Amino acid sequence: MSAPPEQVTITIDDRSVSVPKGTGLVESALQAGIEIPVFCYEPRLGPPLGACRMCLVEIEGLPKLQAACTLSAQDGMVVRTSATSAQAADGQEGVLEFILLNHPLDCPDCDKGGECPLQDLTLRYGPGTSRMVVQKRTFDKPIPISPLIALDRERCILCYRCTRFSEQVAEDGQLVALNRGASSIIATFEDEPYRAHFSGNVIDLCPVGALTSTVYRFRARPWEIQNVPTVCAMCPVGCNVWATTREGKVARVLARNHPEVDGGWLCDKGRFAHDHLRAADRLTEPIRRIRMRGLVAVPWEEALDAADEGLRAAGASVCVAFSGGETVEQADALSRLVRQGLGADVALLPDDPDPALDAFRAPLAAIRSANVCLVVGDEPVLERAPIVDLWLRAARRGGAEVVTVGPAGAIAAPPGSAAAICAALAASSPPEELRELARDLREADRVALVWSGDDDTGGRHLAGLAAALELGEGSGAYFLPRTPNGRGVAQAWRAAGDGRGIDPSGDEALGALIVSGDEALRDTRVVALADRARFVLTTAMFMNEAAGQSHVILPGTGYLERDGTVVNLEGRSQRLRRTVEPPGWDELAFFAQLARRFGVDVDPWTRAGVDELAALPARSGTAPVVAAPAARGPQRAAGAGGDFELVRYRALFSGAAVERVPQLAFQRPAAEVELPGGDASRLHIATGERVVLRSGEVSRELAARVNRRLAPGVARVAEEHADGLADSVRIEKA
Amino acid sequence: MAPRHVVFELAESADVTRLSDYERAGGYESLRKALAMEPAQVIEELLASGLRGRGGAGFPMGRKASFLPKPDQTPKPIYLAVNADESEPGTFKDREIMLRVPHQVIEGILISSYAIQARAAFVYIRGEYLTEYEVLRTALEEALDRGLVGANILGSGYSVTIVLHRGAGAYICGEETGLLESLEGKRGQPRTKPPFPAIAGLYAAPTLINNVETLATVPRILALGGENYAKLGVENSSGTRVFSLSGNVARPGNYELELGMSLRDLIVGIGGGVPGGRQLKAVIPGGSSTPVLTADELDTRLDFDSMARAGTMLGSGAVIVIDDRCCMVQLALRVAQFYRHESCGKCTPCREGTRWMVEIIRRIEQGAAGQGELDLLLNVCDRILGRCLCPLGDAAAMPVASYVAKFRSEFQRHIDEGGCPFRGTSSLEGVLAPVDEHHARARARIEVPA
Repeated sequence: MSAPPEQVTITIDDRSVSVPKGTGLVESALQAGIEIPVFCYEPRLGPPLGACRMCLVEIEGLPKLQAACTLSAQDGMVVRTSATSAQAADGQEGVLEFILLNHPLDCPDCDKGGECPLQDLTLRYGPGTSRMVVQKRTFDKPIPISPLIALDRERCILCYRCTRFSEQVAEDGQLVALNRGASSIIATFEDEPYRAHFSGNVIDLCPVGALTSTVYRFRARPWEIQNVPTVCAMCPVGCNVWATTREGKVARVLARNHPEVDGGWLCDKGRFAHDHLRAADRLTEPIRRIRMRGLVAVPWEEALDAADEGLRAAGASVCVAFSGGETVEQADALSRLVRQGLGADVALLPDDPDPALDAFRAPLAAIRSANVCLVVGDEPVLERAPIVDLWLRAARRGGAEVVTVGPAGAIAAPPGSAAAICAALAASSPPEELRELARDLREADRVALVWSGDDDTGGRHLAGLAAALELGEGSGAYFLPRTPNGRGVAQAWRAAGDGRGIDPSGDEALGALIVSGDEALRDTRVVALADRARFVLTTAMFMNEAAGQSHVILPGTGYLERDGTVVNLEGRSQRLRRTVEPPGWDELAFFAQLARRFGVDVDPWTRAGVDELAALPARSGTAPVVAAPAARGPQRAAGAGGDFELVRYRALFSGAAVERVPQLAFQRPAAEVELPGGDASRLHIATGERVVLRSGEVSRELAARVNRRLAPGVARVAEEHADGLADSVRIEKA
Repeated sequence: MAPRHVVFELAESADVTRLSDYERAGGYESLRKALAMEPAQVIEELLASGLRGRGGAGFPMGRKASFLPKPDQTPKPIYLAVNADESEPGTFKDREIMLRVPHQVIEGILISSYAIQARAAFVYIRGEYLTEYEVLRTALEEALDRGLVGANILGSGYSVTIVLHRGAGAYICGEETGLLESLEGKRGQPRTKPPFPAIAGLYAAPTLINNVETLATVPRILALGGENYAKLGVENSSGTRVFSLSGNVARPGNYELELGMSLRDLIVGIGGGVPGGRQLKAVIPGGSSTPVLTADELDTRLDFDSMARAGTMLGSGAVIVIDDRCCMVQLALRVAQFYRHESCGKCTPCREGTRWMVEIIRRIEQGAAGQGELDLLLNVCDRILGRCLCPLGDAAAMPVASYVAKFRSEFQRHIDEGGCPFRGTSSLEGVLAPVDEHHARARARIEVPA
């Protein structure tokens, strides 16, 4: 580690404070317990802008007031804020007066009212009365800049936080400032809807009510709400969030900065998908399939009896299919019921990450300070673990070399070749196209390795590379699981049993199948198993997902309704807090009772899952599991004629929850196929044209989109539009 | 005594717009001389000359050049940016320099680039200056053909590229960091300093930014020798400047004068004074952003220090003469409208303050203002002054505050009499700022003959 930075001492409002050299004045003042008010200043958005001038302070020796946010502490500096300087006080009051000139004072019906920095700072530093007698500037309002965000240009104080986020953090470039001077406005580029994975962050960033959530708009006043600190369980990142509730319902989800995990950002899925809790087909009571009567709602005790009966009849011929969204405690209860109570030993795990990577764990934030970042795998990082994409972008902005190797990578590689790439990079003499990268990886002080693909062995391959590179402190290797808590679920399953098992891949009848969660219901392997099972016990949130093959359906809970532990992709255990009441028993209560009937004592109260996990046994060689969908082997893309190697990815905006939030519909992947530039022009296909994808008997018609980053011979489609297609397809104009 | 010309000396007796003519007059000799010197020696000459920037701020050019790191001190390339975005109302000197001595501008760019070892020089030229752009481009092509620009200039081993870049009509892009942002293809808004452009300028690389006139003076300094140039003018204001004389004066135009002559020498002696027997009322001495001087202050000398002592600035050297027909409130309105229109919108005091100033002045001019509003106007100016991100806010507040300070009774009469005391006879009556004129025209109805 480098030497600690030099300390400097400055005086702020007659208080002396010692801070590391280079510390900003705003932060230095905070250390001395003094507030320097700001609007535009937000270090997470890049270098200070100095635009709003709210932070004007007097600095001894300088004739003019200075914007504190743009300065850093220098030894001996004497700073006076509005508390001890009449000039600074006049400066700050003046800025607030200017801001308020054109700001509509519609606080009573503004969503921000009550939690508004402009209100707060006006109270503390602003003028008591208005001297403005002329007309305020007016604009049409509100303007929907997307189905999720409404823009009120009259309230906007032009701090440029939103445009800086769009340009310098998410790098989507969609929010821009138009016009000049007092006519300046915020707009989307070319007035297109703001369609980006992280668009909702601009609502958090807005210091006034100019950017508001259409989902939350007019739904609550700040003094009627409770904010519950919890964790988002929509993807394996596990962003920390505040869940806002009003009258027992979740009204919104806000980012809650965890500097090591999310840096205070949250994707739109985490932010806006919470309304799935109130979906029209949400199950609220147990359902039982009764001969001649179909699916009938039954009391909980009856459901318990039916489950007991069905499982008892199956003996040890039981398989459990996890969805990867369960808490560790839920997975533990279910695993112990199955393994210890029923004597069965087969699970379908959506993820089964290799623990070999645990030797190279590092916080996600370490990516930002890496010198070289390598991303391998077929899946876009943005779709799989969106925040990781932001960390990678931050690394690149900071000067790091960020290289993706894969079907859409800067270095093109055929689908399924990630393991081979890792091996090649670890080898002493890598092939020509990887030589420079291999050298850079070896020479770098800090390296971040990311595996983004559907292959549970990825961790092992990545660990091999990490070991070859002798990664040390400051470096990290990250495997991105498919599901939010896939890692925790796999750990819970392994901890609950000792490894005898039956082969689920045969086609003999299965005694019983337990399907845990809506996402598991969408796994084609689960559907196939259900056909073979005499009894299917399902937990699900949504009737339309569960109705098909289940005999007993228990109403499932959403992550906002659960207490428990989830393990994110870093291997970090984080606590979910129950934000709102579930409609009935939660899964844990049900399975604890069920387990007791089979002689297994499961504590229905959430335990400290963290401690449990700490003592996990290492993975044994004979893993009695059915892991995630088989990884495809390395394939050389065909490319000739109209033949393409099909890469399908799971879009972030997909799945049972997203589909139930109408405001998110525009974010879902378009029905299109991405084609490489060279192949598209050879086949005379342009973006927007209709094409047909064929494999065997199956055909799909989609719109074409030319993506010049795709490797030749590779076509890419979101999973939900690739239904039934094989890995190799023929593409021609419709 | 005939005024001593430096910038226009070579163009005095001949047309030197063509390369051959310019060379015949001695052009590009200074470049040869410079290339034979060490870069540091060239900067020494500039320091010795005492040349101060001619764009408006008057920062010594040699010192600015010496702030840049040397090529072996930075991993980045070094750039020169040429500010040819002449937009200050009343200023029209750079356009004449570019039209009459385009090769001298290029020569100055080359010498200065050599002095700082720049890899490329970017000329940011005002979008409306189409003719000037074409003249400069023709000259640049000639220079390229002759091997004066580009790789291995005159066999010296030094190479530099010159890029001409046309602006798109924004005053703020004449502010040095706004210019850099615009050059980079971004929205033309100033940057916060530090970091200063000498450390992180264009594309975050060390950048020297100079005005056209400053650079056009450089070859002459090398020809004369820095110390000889420093003998021209007065202390702290060496050399000559091209003054743009305009307004209510008999002979408006650009005049190159040694620094230190009085305003009276320029306006009365050279410009022929106010025509038609009218009285001189006020003088804007250095472009519309500078505080006004009254007829009593006509003996103020045209040099940096004298102007500062008089509470104003030499600015861009644009002297605007105002006679007794002009309503100072209307003048304030026009000036304020200009700066409101040109405010980039980045920082609060300028964006909101300039708009508010216009509204208050309009109310005063219309006779709708209350008694407190004159002090309110001054207070608004105070709250803009020195609190903005860049000098544009000051450029609006300083002149307007000076009009009120020096012609307060005239403002007061507007309020007391409920309207303009000129009763429609002011020379600015009905003359709107271009932006408002534009809006007024847009509202005009088009009559279609039956």
